[in-house]
Amino acid sequence: MRQFIVFVLSLYTSLTWAVLEVTILKQDENVFPIVISDFSVVGDANQGKIIAHVMRDNFNRSGKFSASSANYVINNKPNFDKWKAKKIEAIVLGKLEKISKKVFNVEIELLDVYSNKILYKDKFAVHNSGIRRIAHYLSDQIYHALLGERGSFDTRLAYITVTNKGKGEREYRLEISDSDAQNPQTILKSKEPVLSPVWSPDQNKIAYVSFRNARSEVFIQYPFVRRKTQKLPYFDGIASAPSWHPNGKSLLLTLSKNGNKDIYSYQLASKKLTRLTTDVGIDTEASYSPEGDKIVFTSNRSGQVQVYIKDLKTSKINRATFKGRYNAKAVFSPNGKSLAMVHRVGKDYRIALLDIATKDLTIMTNNQLDESPFFSPNGGMIIFATNKGNSGVLSVVSILDRQTFELASKAGEVREPNWSHYLK
Amino acid sequence: MLKIISLTTIVLLSSCSSVDDLYKKVLPKPRTVTIEDRTENTQENIIKVDQSSFQSQGFSRSGVNTSNIVESVVVADFRNTDVSFILYFSYDGTKIDEDSIKQIIKHADFMRNNPALNLRLEGHADERGSREYNLALGENRALSVKEILGLYDLSSRVEVISLGEEKPVLQQHDEGAWQKNRRVEFVYQ
Repeated sequence: MRQFIVFVLSLYTSLTWAVLEVTILKQDENVFPIVISDFSVVGDANQGKIIAHVMRDNFNRSGKFSASSANYVINNKPNFDKWKAKKIEAIVLGKLEKISKKVFNVEIELLDVYSNKILYKDKFAVHNSGIRRIAHYLSDQIYHALLGERGSFDTRLAYITVTNKGKGEREYRLEISDSDAQNPQTILKSKEPVLSPVWSPDQNKIAYVSFRNARSEVFIQYPFVRRKTQKLPYFDGIASAPSWHPNGKSLLLTLSKNGNKDIYSYQLASKKLTRLTTDVGIDTEASYSPEGDKIVFTSNRSGQVQVYIKDLKTSKINRATFKGRYNAKAVFSPNGKSLAMVHRVGKDYRIALLDIATKDLTIMTNNQLDESPFFSPNGGMIIFATNKGNSGVLSVVSILDRQTFELASKAGEVREPNWSHYLK
Repeated sequence: MLKIISLTTIVLLSSCSSVDDLYKKVLPKPRTVTIEDRTENTQENIIKVDQSSFQSQGFSRSGVNTSNIVESVVVADFRNTDVSFILYFSYDGTKIDEDSIKQIIKHADFMRNNPALNLRLEGHADERGSREYNLALGENRALSVKEILGLYDLSSRVEVISLGEEKPVLQQHDEGAWQKNRRVEFVYQ
């Protein structure tokens, strides 16, 4: 038994070192070096240990931090001089205590190594099932305390998975998960294709396209309440590419009334349709700017597939992309200043970031089949899907340092990730 | 009406200088066929029995019933001729070439001879490009075929749907597979 404990400890130490090595590789001037110690545990509360682990992963993915663990659990007062020598700027430490069968007390402190001051301190009672959620919530609190801006950790993802069931049958699933792709839950299973899931601004609804009736139709599902999935009316032709207005009261849709594929806005309450584009070419994949005063969409009106912006006040449409022969599926960043899109480089499809004002285009990824970029709610990261061989991968790339991190890899395909807004 | 003509012109301009020339060269002149005319054809009498059985069964077109069996015999006979039930397209293209036009004319004749049959045109795209764009592209391909059937007054019997890149025939990620996946399928109902 004693031997077993020693073995576990040494394994634990080597894991810690592995994290530190990654940290050293990543260290550059833009990155904020912090330590997130494993929490001290009072009584039988080992399930809570995952909190520090989830937090470190969150910070490392953000592109703005390098978060390491200490080799030991830091209690109370850390030796600030020692951490200063290691160029660590802040330390997170915490305590977990089991207070009933399924409830823990969590205490957390964020300490500034240079001023020796407490920057953030809080205490919570957490149910067993809320351990991951509290780790994301605390990540946001600490991110804000250190940078003065909001984190995107306590948020959710939605995406589609596809698996082969044999005999030509496939299974499509609409899944939702935490922002790190953990805790996945299937909210829809179908033998027919499901496409384009989008979270509503209030987080309570997901709009998507389903072929369950043998043609593309738009549905709105309520993942957290017992309420029947709503089907938008039949519009004649294809109905697809839903995207919410920031006020949640209307959706942008691609409809092919009269055979012409154009962008429409559809008011959910009044069922009123407003046509926003009229070109004879294909207009699709529209989404709103954060203020709702512009839309960005994909069109082949020039003979090539490119991205356009329509100003809804002036009704003017301007082409946004000039570099490359193929740009599609663009979305606005949360500050409205840039677009993320799929950009073709030779034969490869990659994720690119366009500065709308300067027209500077930065290629963010280097795979062959990257698809469906979407910004984190604070604009610091872009999530996208890639398919490699027989598995689908969800990855995030940080805007600041263009580092890509794989969140999850699944057998079959993963498609069209969509990032929720902040949870309430 | 103007729109239909101009679209047809775009589709067929590559081979002909005007729509009139085109009718002379490639297309037999479209005929207007009324329902009364059709019932006199012996082949259609079979279908006519069908239609009554549709009605008695509450119009279930997709369900298995005797009418479907009769239909499938007619369609199977047609399938055994040298007609294509799948037309292929170029990358990002919706244009119909002369060979395809000839195939579409065979379908037009078949539909006029079998007035109880309806046609669903299913448009598809290869996997390159975004899903939503490909959904639109697949519909455009099927609509190009429907435009030509429209010259024979068959529009009301033709339903167009698009499956985009969602239902590939071949799963490989190469030009060979992509060629087979850029297609419009003819499905009689």
